[in-house]
Amino acid sequence: MESSVKRLDRDAEVPEEAFEDEIVDLDFHVNPLEDELLTYVEDDRALDKLTTEFGPTPVMGKWDAAYGIKEGQEGLFTQGRAKYAEDVHEACENIAVDEPIVNAGINNLNLQHHPVLKNAVCQAANDYMLDHFADEGMYTSAMIPKWDPDYAVEEIERMADEDNIVAAYSWFDPKVPWGNEQFDPVFETLVENDMPLLLHGSLAYWPQHSYIGDDMLTWTEVLGFDWPIHAMVTVVNMIMRGVFDKYPDLNVVIQEGGHWWVPFLRYRMDEFYEMHPEDVQITPRKMDSGETYLERAPSDYLRDNFYLCTQPFALPRRAGDAENLLDLSLADEMFIYSSDWPHQTLDPPTWFYTSRAFDEHTRERILSGNAREILDI
Amino acid sequence: MTDDNFTKVAEVGDIPEGEGEGYEIDGIEIAVFNTGDDYYAISNRCSHQRAPLCKAGDEKINAEDTWTGERGGLNAEACTVSCPWHLWEWDLETGEHEASGQRIGTFDCTVDGEDILVRI
Repeated sequence: MESSVKRLDRDAEVPEEAFEDEIVDLDFHVNPLEDELLTYVEDDRALDKLTTEFGPTPVMGKWDAAYGIKEGQEGLFTQGRAKYAEDVHEACENIAVDEPIVNAGINNLNLQHHPVLKNAVCQAANDYMLDHFADEGMYTSAMIPKWDPDYAVEEIERMADEDNIVAAYSWFDPKVPWGNEQFDPVFETLVENDMPLLLHGSLAYWPQHSYIGDDMLTWTEVLGFDWPIHAMVTVVNMIMRGVFDKYPDLNVVIQEGGHWWVPFLRYRMDEFYEMHPEDVQITPRKMDSGETYLERAPSDYLRDNFYLCTQPFALPRRAGDAENLLDLSLADEMFIYSSDWPHQTLDPPTWFYTSRAFDEHTRERILSGNAREILDI
Repeated sequence: MTDDNFTKVAEVGDIPEGEGEGYEIDGIEIAVFNTGDDYYAISNRCSHQRAPLCKAGDEKINAEDTWTGERGGLNAEACTVSCPWHLWEWDLETGEHEASGQRIGTFDCTVDGEDILVRI
């Protein structure tokens, strides 16, 4: 019998079925070239300082992928470097992504020390993204400064008026957590403009010169577990300090902060709160409102106000285990697909088609349904 | 298919030195790499996330603005190929990924005249 031989289609890197479904990717990084980005800085004084020999992001992160990845820092560009909309289209074609939600990806910005210069970079990045992506019809998340809530409000209001700006992008990190009341004006403005808050991992990482930070020696610890710990702290902090009693319509998306911790948080938060709820009344928002308790169980806020990007997915190999974990993690309500293109932890949507853990409903909710709902696209 | 179960997949010159090409033989995906000295056939799918290994070494988008310019690639000297998605490095002779101990299939590959043959 003659063998059948065919040359494989080089443009299809994921299973055929993925090209038939609609896929929204909530974490697609664009990387503008520094020189071009700086042409968008409006304030001449800031521009003068940003173009010294230090450059726009002079503070180096202690922790990087250089020792963990054979190609060192190239891990940031394992797939390439998207500068313009056509680059994003080219990348998405191969991995069956229909709607990438792009961000400027300057994740070391909040690590820098100078708030005025950081704001200038933020303004420039947003204008760059408007010119090259939003105005080209691509859904874009606007970067907002965590270090300056007043300026964050200004940027949200400025960007929300533009077409195709669908979310605000900032970071969870080891600094002031988002439950702090200083962020209330940011939440209020986001809700007014019907924009979700995307919180991505930050290259600030665990602080240097701290016991834990200095003793994390591997990339597995740093990226794999530092980020989820800070993500969990951020989530619990926002819930227990009553952010969502004050802003019940606020949607928050955790990007690259892990997701399999959902069962742990659901049961642990509720048990602790139900046993010992008396300190909630002395948190600042409750002191203001005079309420004694949260209006709902902590796990209800997790379920209704938070969404979690899936990358890196780390899906259990056994489909039965994966299915149980997806159920306990409320994946069909909370998970949103993300690729993290072009980084070394890229997740094309292959898992959703090669594992039997996903039924049609769960796959649809993760790959597009949940994202469409909160982004209103 | 020949009497000894070899199947022709390509001709010499079809796969440039230092690159690979993907084929499906009776429903099985394989990638054939040309190291310059030899041709090697290995399962086309990385065991991690099923990335197509035949794409290893493809030029990155805006390669001139990156450091290495290529997505993974063939290392002829070490006789390995690194995955284009997450750089898992596969031994082309044994199909082993050293760090995890996982293995993927490798296939006999030979050149007969101008024909590149693979035995499934």
